[in-house]
Amino acid sequence: MKNFAKLAAAAVVASITAGAALAEGLYTPNLAYRTGPFAATGIPLMNGQKDYIEMLNARDGGVGGVKIEFEECETGYSTQKGVECYEKTKGEAIVTQPWSTGITLQVLPKTNVDMIPILAPGYGFSPMMDGKTFQWAFNVPSGYWDGASMILQYLQGQGDLKGKKIAFLHLDHPYGKEPLPLLEANADTMGYELLPIPVGLKEMQNQSAQWLQIRRARPDYVVMWGWGAMNAGAITEAVKTKYPMENMIGVWWSGHDADLRLVGDKGKGYKSISWSFPELESQAMADIKKHVVDTGKTLSNEEEMQGVFYGRGVVMSMILAEGIKVAQDKYGVAEVNAEQLRWGLENLNITEERLAELGMSGMVAPFSTSCSNHTGHSGGWMLEWDGTKFVKVSDHLSPDTSGYADLAATKAAEYAEANAPWPVNDSCGG
Amino acid sequence: MLYRTAGQFKTSYQADQALFPVRQDAVLLAVILAFAYVIFPLTASEFTFQTLLIPILIYSLAALGLNILTGFAGQLSLGTAAFMGVGAYACYKMITLMPWMNPILAILFSGVFSAGVGVAFGIPSLRIKGFYLAIATLAAQFFLVWLFEKWAWLYNYNASGAIQVPNLDIFGVYVAGPLASSITQYYVVLGIVTLLTLLCINLTRGNLGRTWKATRDMDIAAELIGINLMKSKLTAFAVSSYVVGVAGALFVFMWRGAAEPNLFDIPLSFQILFIAIIGGLGSVMGNYLGAILIVGLPVVLNLVPETLGIPIKSATVEHLNIMIVGSLIVFFLIVEPHGLAQLWRLIREKLIIWPFPH
Repeated sequence: MKNFAKLAAAAVVASITAGAALAEGLYTPNLAYRTGPFAATGIPLMNGQKDYIEMLNARDGGVGGVKIEFEECETGYSTQKGVECYEKTKGEAIVTQPWSTGITLQVLPKTNVDMIPILAPGYGFSPMMDGKTFQWAFNVPSGYWDGASMILQYLQGQGDLKGKKIAFLHLDHPYGKEPLPLLEANADTMGYELLPIPVGLKEMQNQSAQWLQIRRARPDYVVMWGWGAMNAGAITEAVKTKYPMENMIGVWWSGHDADLRLVGDKGKGYKSISWSFPELESQAMADIKKHVVDTGKTLSNEEEMQGVFYGRGVVMSMILAEGIKVAQDKYGVAEVNAEQLRWGLENLNITEERLAELGMSGMVAPFSTSCSNHTGHSGGWMLEWDGTKFVKVSDHLSPDTSGYADLAATKAAEYAEANAPWPVNDSCGG
Repeated sequence: MLYRTAGQFKTSYQADQALFPVRQDAVLLAVILAFAYVIFPLTASEFTFQTLLIPILIYSLAALGLNILTGFAGQLSLGTAAFMGVGAYACYKMITLMPWMNPILAILFSGVFSAGVGVAFGIPSLRIKGFYLAIATLAAQFFLVWLFEKWAWLYNYNASGAIQVPNLDIFGVYVAGPLASSITQYYVVLGIVTLLTLLCINLTRGNLGRTWKATRDMDIAAELIGINLMKSKLTAFAVSSYVVGVAGALFVFMWRGAAEPNLFDIPLSFQILFIAIIGGLGSVMGNYLGAILIVGLPVVLNLVPETLGIPIKSATVEHLNIMIVGSLIVFFLIVEPHGLAQLWRLIREKLIIWPFPH
């Protein structure tokens, strides 16, 4: 009996300390996927995110003197696991990083009730840019419609699109269908012919049917919205069918170094629009090397760290850290809560000077958010594969947001109506 | 000792044919129901509702539907997820076309659509059986998921191609959508699952259930003693698809909140088939045990390292989890090939004659 009492006391003490440990610091869970079919593309991004936060913790002791507890919850890209992770973490979390369009769609309607901001850098539902409707969601610094608009702009720079044929090779999934409304709307005004070619989730690795169609239709350009195994499948298939690589352009998630390393020189000329760029010589990367890599805390490796995806993960964590910092400055508390962080993310102002201070010049274009603009529309660069790595081949491109502001507003209103009662923040001006 | 049946005399045929001829069984069930209806809702957290209680009930119901077809009527089906999808999409269309409709009635009614589709895809079962039938139902799986993707009317021409559950209320209380509280959803699910389970127990014990079992055990013999095989097989498909369709509607409306077509793809079918097989084919209770093992255990296992304070990466936990659950499945199937329900049946028999071994 004595032993039992001791054990019980120990258990109580342990549970109290465990609870205290959780409450301390800024808890920013990441719904990561290092397992499952999409792990190959997920791991470099997750590593970049994690390493930047670990670097902040080691170098500056976190943000504003408070350590960031950056915990990963494994989803394997499964929506069910994602929701499980969300439920598990939402008690203490000040932010949710859902990481898949499926999980974002599930979590998005709950945010108004649970009051936790969603940070979905470069993915998720494009109309999320309408901050009046989606008060708790942020797809900084660029959404999919921004990406599609930038690609069209780049193509126009190569020559008039009138009478041209553009094949849109996309994953047949909410993610792949995202830019369709914009591409369709522009087809009339710009005068090109759009040929949507869906790739089913089961056909990702064997796209011979789709590429046969492409060979037959002879499009002038192939725009690709692919993810995971689909990218490697499309690129190898394009090489096989001898499609001119310089006319193939992917979204930022289709620009993974490892996919192109598979074809090496033959992939020369392949392009990918991107809102981030890995500046290997930057101060931030040097600090990561000094504080995280050299101390053996990283899960990454030399080759992966030079890739576009790792650099993008670093940028994502920078955005989160900046959001926390803005909130800390405004509210004068170090341990900000979810609501304060929402304000912080809504008032980001990442200028060229700030990027220089952070040692990240050139890794992302300057952008700022406001209460009605939750995307920031940073714009980005066209990257091209030179046979061994991605290089910038364009000046900074900015999306033509005026072209789809109405579209976004309509879609957002539709969403709000379908999910009524849905609170819309009318008080916010511009 | 606990299960001593001595002294429980049956004095009428009715008593002998009762659902629970042994009093202890009834008491045990009452205790379980008391837990489900009173104690769990009072103690459970949001997390427990969303990741354990609600999904286990919904998966059990889907497995129960499959079990009627595969376990009781002997028709192997690999199209369960697609029939769940039919239920979910039917419910979504009904709710969006007729917003005044009572959501619970819509859920119960959506099973009718999947029953119709199920019967249509069950017609081949009149000519083929076993693995060949499995292939025919696999066709349903591919065709229906393709249809959910391509027929834009089904998802109201939503740009993302996914369906999203709106906020639905009954007399001012939200039962579905993001504003609904977990406890309300849990009670709705529990109520429907209880109702359908009761229905299924009685169906499988009655005339229809006996024809199904005869068809399963030997269809030629069943035909010879005057059972109409067509009727028997198609009713099995209809009842099974109805239950599965309701489970699908619950799956999306009471739990997930949103669904994309590929959610209803083969992996879900297999998961439900595993629940039915590990729980025990031809048993009602087995579905619950199977769902606890396949759906509940991984969630609990994921929490173990954190609760014990073991610093371990969440990806590693996931790998370990898959290994542990996989080996447990193999272990249980070796120990008792007829599933967890049979395991319980043996334990119960041993308890009844305890302490005498024979």
